[in-house]
Amino acid sequence: MQRMVIQRIIIGFITLWVVSVLVFIGTSILPGDVAEIVLGQTATPESLAAYRAERGLDQPLYMQYLTWLGGMFTGDLGTSKAGGASISSLISGRFGNTMLLAGIVAIISVPMSVVLGLLAAMYPGTWIDRILTFGTLSLISVPEFFIATFMVLIFAVQLQWLPAIATMSPEASFWETIGSMAMPLITLIIVVAAQMIRMTRAGILNVMNSPYIEMAILKGVKRKRIILRHAFYNAIGPIVNVIALNLAYLVSGVVIVETIFAYPGLAKLMIDGVQTRDLPLVQACAMIFCGTYVILIIMADVAAILSNPRLRNPK
Amino acid sequence: MTESKGKSPTINSLSHTDQDMVKSGLSRGVSRRVVMGWLMAGGATVAGAGSIVASATKAVAAMAQKGGTIKFASDLHGPSDTLDPGLNTSTIDYSRGRAHYNGLVQFNDDTSVRPELAEEFSSNADNTEWTFKLRQGVTFHDGSSFTADDVMYSMGRHYGEKSTSTAKTLVSDVAEWVRVDEYTVKAKMSGPNGDLPKILATSQFKIIKDGTTDFQNPMGTGPFKLADYQPGVRSLHTRNEDYWRDGPNADSLEIFAITDKVARTSALLSGDIDLMQGLDPKAIPQIESAPGVGIWSVASGAYIGIVCMTNTSPGDNKDFVLAMKYIQRREKIVRSILKGQGTVGNDNPINAAYGPDFCSDLPIRQHDLDKAKFHLKKSGITEATIQVAEVAPGTTDVVLLMQREAQKIGLKLNINKVPNDGYWGAVWMKTPMNVTTWNMRPTANVMMNLAFAPDAPWNDSLWANERMGQLLVESRAVTDAALRHEMYCEMQTLISENSGMIIPAHRNYLDAKSDNVEGIGTMPLGSLGGYEWPEFAFRTDL
Repeated sequence: MQRMVIQRIIIGFITLWVVSVLVFIGTSILPGDVAEIVLGQTATPESLAAYRAERGLDQPLYMQYLTWLGGMFTGDLGTSKAGGASISSLISGRFGNTMLLAGIVAIISVPMSVVLGLLAAMYPGTWIDRILTFGTLSLISVPEFFIATFMVLIFAVQLQWLPAIATMSPEASFWETIGSMAMPLITLIIVVAAQMIRMTRAGILNVMNSPYIEMAILKGVKRKRIILRHAFYNAIGPIVNVIALNLAYLVSGVVIVETIFAYPGLAKLMIDGVQTRDLPLVQACAMIFCGTYVILIIMADVAAILSNPRLRNPK
Repeated sequence: MTESKGKSPTINSLSHTDQDMVKSGLSRGVSRRVVMGWLMAGGATVAGAGSIVASATKAVAAMAQKGGTIKFASDLHGPSDTLDPGLNTSTIDYSRGRAHYNGLVQFNDDTSVRPELAEEFSSNADNTEWTFKLRQGVTFHDGSSFTADDVMYSMGRHYGEKSTSTAKTLVSDVAEWVRVDEYTVKAKMSGPNGDLPKILATSQFKIIKDGTTDFQNPMGTGPFKLADYQPGVRSLHTRNEDYWRDGPNADSLEIFAITDKVARTSALLSGDIDLMQGLDPKAIPQIESAPGVGIWSVASGAYIGIVCMTNTSPGDNKDFVLAMKYIQRREKIVRSILKGQGTVGNDNPINAAYGPDFCSDLPIRQHDLDKAKFHLKKSGITEATIQVAEVAPGTTDVVLLMQREAQKIGLKLNINKVPNDGYWGAVWMKTPMNVTTWNMRPTANVMMNLAFAPDAPWNDSLWANERMGQLLVESRAVTDAALRHEMYCEMQTLISENSGMIIPAHRNYLDAKSDNVEGIGTMPLGSLGGYEWPEFAFRTDL
């Protein structure tokens, strides 16, 4: 177990390094460099050269990569090649915002999904199951920009109950901040919960087909007890993996919600970085996202092993 | 402007937008005579205009108040946001610059200039030397005094090999800046140029403190101090209590961007922002039907262009280019694609927004498929490919319309859609046919010099015409109005007939605002009255 975790952590670092190389190469082969994009239509050969010299973009690519890698080891993320601000100052506030949003969504949606998924699995074919199945399937099929825009039109434009944007202004009071986060939160809870409910239900029903459950049924154990005592522990593996993937998505993939609500988070920052070919910024975001995935997947695997006696005590 | 029918009209008889424009003009001290001129240009009678202005003046008298926060959402921001005036290229940069800095001179709504940090400015008889007498007693936000050294430093950043300025070509004809004394500087020109003050009024030439190299928290002399600045997130500007003239109206400004246009419009409709840049023409009916908000549309010389590079096929064939000019359905583009928020283009970068330098004698080139067919046949070309990015709202639609018309004359026009990011470096001026957009420039000479001079680095179609180059230089020294107009007309005729640039339409700057904010100008050099609003905008709901 311990060995496995250490192994996973080492593999995680290798993954991070490979991703950093791939992202660096990928961003570099996009047309144009940061100088051409910042100066845009008003660029001249001289101003491009001056800009590249000023920001160290005239060095060969491998040197730029090594400079970045060296900085990473000493904890220096570098400065944005596009605006000149330090990467850590660009990221710090947004990192907190992203974690806040992802954290609240996780706290609400994970227990809710597991409970609702269990309920649906406990009473398959009943009205509870049907409502949940119908509801989750409908919500999975609706793209999140539609849910978000629709809510803005109703609650912000028509009823004027909630603000249309969540800019996380530091002058706003606690309740104003909560109010402005309400719609992004609801959108994301709907998106991730629907998927997790489906997977919980499917995971448990899958286990319900196995012979030992049949045995339990024949023995006359109540369905509720079978699920909570016998089936659930065996279904935890797949469920925590789905939860981990959804949480990773909340950190790295919520660019649409961030854009629609003008929420200053990390996903949009990375897109901005790619659009301006701002390599140090893209790299920093990529490392955070990749690191999140690695940590969450390790945690999911550990949880799966701990919950399963066969994996816990291998022969 | 439209005037509703009825006896002795008041301000309320005007459309929503026109009401705003009249009130806002009056509140910023535009004279009654000028406002009546606007109304009459829009078809009002003298008596009607007079009565409207009288009622509007009353309404305005109660308005100009100090205080409150104005929230402005632009369409684009990111880590590349900068407070370095020399690197300003986006609306959000220009707007922040206007709040944080001052220039030597400042634009009026009609693009003429008035003194700002330069108390007086004058040129010698042949416009080869300009003298700027600086205002005394002005301080930067850190309390230090503004002197000629700051001007010398600010101007010096636009010269030399190490300069990254996006505007250096505009002032390359200043041979030398001279510090005469603590409050006087001189610009010695390499050739006559009567337009230097107008160039210096643009955003890139704002005055920064001598020696500034760090632009995360630079010192300016402007109406607002920087309270919070997070590139790509937002900036907060608070009133500069020591401002050298009657300070700004608002207590603070919050400037950020909402990149999604639907979300931006929703934020204005829900009252979360007061001003927005870049309204999608399709959203005009939504804004006009909603209470408490209105569109702010200013006719300008900004244009959408289709470029046929003249150094390669097919653009090197004059007949091909002419055929492309004849298939343009200019009126339809303005009406359907720009939803009326634009003016017909004549393959001429200069339009009526440039005032007397516009050559109105030049007849508009009409949609003519017979002539187009004739020229296309003569060129022998049957297929061409154009690269399109949505560089300005409607660009893709303009090209799609062009593709349909091309088919009618037997040309297969392939459209290759490319992304916006990286467009200017990788596609523009590098592929045989592409699209471009230009914002309006302070003078016709600057505009044509940037994009049509034979040696200009941004000559979109690489069209090199010697006569054009001669006229551009010579016309700067001419003071006789008739001769000047004649020369400007010749230049515009040359461009319209010979260059590889097709200009089907000029677009208005189309923005929107809440009724609770007034004092927005109509200067046509940029969004929301040429970015001049930060100092003058005020809330009416305090």
